Amino acid sequence: MLLTETRAERSRLHRLDARAKILGFIGFTVVVVTTPARAVWAFALYAVILAFLVGLSRLPLRHVLKRALVVVPFVLVVAIFLPFFHQAGSGGYSLGGMRVTGEGLLVLWNAGAKAVLGVLSMIILGSTTSFAELVAGFEQLRTPRIFVLIVSFMYRYSFVFVEELQRMRRAMTARNYRARWLWNVPTLGHMLSALFLRSYSRGERVYVAMLSRGYDGTVRVLDGGRFVATDAAFLGGLLAAVVVIRVFSSL
Amino acid sequence: MHIPDGFVDVPVAVTTGVVSLGTVAYAVRKTTRKLGERTIPLLGVTAAFIFAAQMLNFPVAGGTSGHFLGAMLAVALLGPWAAPIVMTVVLVVQALGMADGGVTALGANVFNMGVVAVLVGYAFFYGLKKLLPRTLTGYLVSVAVASWIAVVVASLAASAELALSGTVPMRIALPAMVSVHMVIGIGEALITTAVVGAVLAARPDLVKSFDLPLETVRPTPGSPRVRVAGRTRFWSFVAGALVVAVALAVFVSPFASGSPDGLEKVAADKGFESAASEEPTWGLSPLGDYQFPGLGSERVATAVAGLLGTVVLFALVVIVGRALGGRKAALAADGGRVDDDTRGRSSAGPTGPPGHA
Repeated sequence: MLLTETRAERSRLHRLDARAKILGFIGFTVVVVTTPARAVWAFALYAVILAFLVGLSRLPLRHVLKRALVVVPFVLVVAIFLPFFHQAGSGGYSLGGMRVTGEGLLVLWNAGAKAVLGVLSMIILGSTTSFAELVAGFEQLRTPRIFVLIVSFMYRYSFVFVEELQRMRRAMTARNYRARWLWNVPTLGHMLSALFLRSYSRGERVYVAMLSRGYDGTVRVLDGGRFVATDAAFLGGLLAAVVVIRVFSSL
Repeated sequence: MHIPDGFVDVPVAVTTGVVSLGTVAYAVRKTTRKLGERTIPLLGVTAAFIFAAQMLNFPVAGGTSGHFLGAMLAVALLGPWAAPIVMTVVLVVQALGMADGGVTALGANVFNMGVVAVLVGYAFFYGLKKLLPRTLTGYLVSVAVASWIAVVVASLAASAELALSGTVPMRIALPAMVSVHMVIGIGEALITTAVVGAVLAARPDLVKSFDLPLETVRPTPGSPRVRVAGRTRFWSFVAGALVVAVALAVFVSPFASGSPDGLEKVAADKGFESAASEEPTWGLSPLGDYQFPGLGSERVATAVAGLLGTVVLFALVVIVGRALGGRKAALAADGGRVDDDTRGRSSAGPTGPPGHA
């Protein structure tokens, strides 16, 4: 519902070691972001790689694209400011007395293309790796323990919180309440207060229950996750491909 | 405010990343030293709460909305060094698990919401707590003003990063984005104060930053119950907005010099002289060169001056909006005046602004 997608089917991509996917997709995004915007063909090739991975993961395409829409508001913000920007330059078009130049459009393309590719790669990572696997992967990559612990607790509690919040929101809607203006916000504040107090005490009970069942700070997982040749091949192949594209893009 | 990939350039991403990493590493060292057995679950619960609360959009006006940030809530509940850790955890989970905010912009996002918002917010919170009377109201006002400031400085940092990266023009985008967040910040302040007040009333042991005797929260039998962000009447909202506007005028200078990057310092140094004369020009003049416009010049300064003007403007907008909206509400057949809804639930007295700003 929230962080993990339905895992009814486990594709090849699902079965890869979390470390390979974490490093691969983060590496992919880093390389994409450093690519010069003028190399349009390079971005097309990156998109082809992602399309291939989506196919491999057998994720529903609609779902992937729908989630990528989160970047739209940001791209719009850039687009809105575009006419005030890069006024010295050639190309582009005029818009009610304002000129949008080729330079300006390049800024939009740069931010938009990179944001879309970045968000897509994270969607594939997040949708093919369960949260527990992600956490375990980060632990194996030597993330400080305190982060791993906090994230595990956070994950455990976030379902409680989000579902409680949805319940409250439903109750509010059922009573025909809709906060419309800023001065209605305190009502939401009361709602969140109740949410915090309720869920916190529930969280405490959960924690005490965990302690009484022998919790000692480590979460034991059945599948230790071994980094095998397939994982290395995936990581190596993905990174090699994007690095080659990146190198040629600035030639 | 979660910046996606590609919106900040490499120098900005690396700089903010290094600063964030350093701050969070220091925070981890500070926190683990006195880590009690129950601290980590508490950090996890708070992180989960902020994560969930960030999904709740609150209305600003009409159809527009903002969402909760939670930096000052974390500070109030956990203190200034555990808060960056919690905010970082939330941002990392959002970036990796939900594709909200780019991985390569993670350094920038942590910098804005986990470092700048938390530490600048804390500085104000601490200072106000010292200045204001040591009462529950004084405490809650400090929380409210500091959470408003946390949102505003976070948006200031975010828009400065975008402008320095050449993604948006500084002279127009910065005042625009910051002034939007000045309104969103009011929502943030209301929610943070409501939550902190409620937690204080029910579980004062969970609010680490509360250092007054508990009798101030637990009323003696017979006295009226503590009012924690109870009343939501329009005039108390206006009073709150005014307090915020005054706070801004008074505090812009220290917040600029106390914050880590030189950009804001320049603004403060120059801001006040040029405020009156140059304010109207910022929105109109075209931006000639986009390379670091305003660094070391009056441009940023005028932007900040513009912000001051915007607060006043927003107060006007709110009043006009209320005048029009209120009439409509009165005409509506079901007369669902939302204020009345809230009033029934709280046992607040009839007069005086509530503890929140």
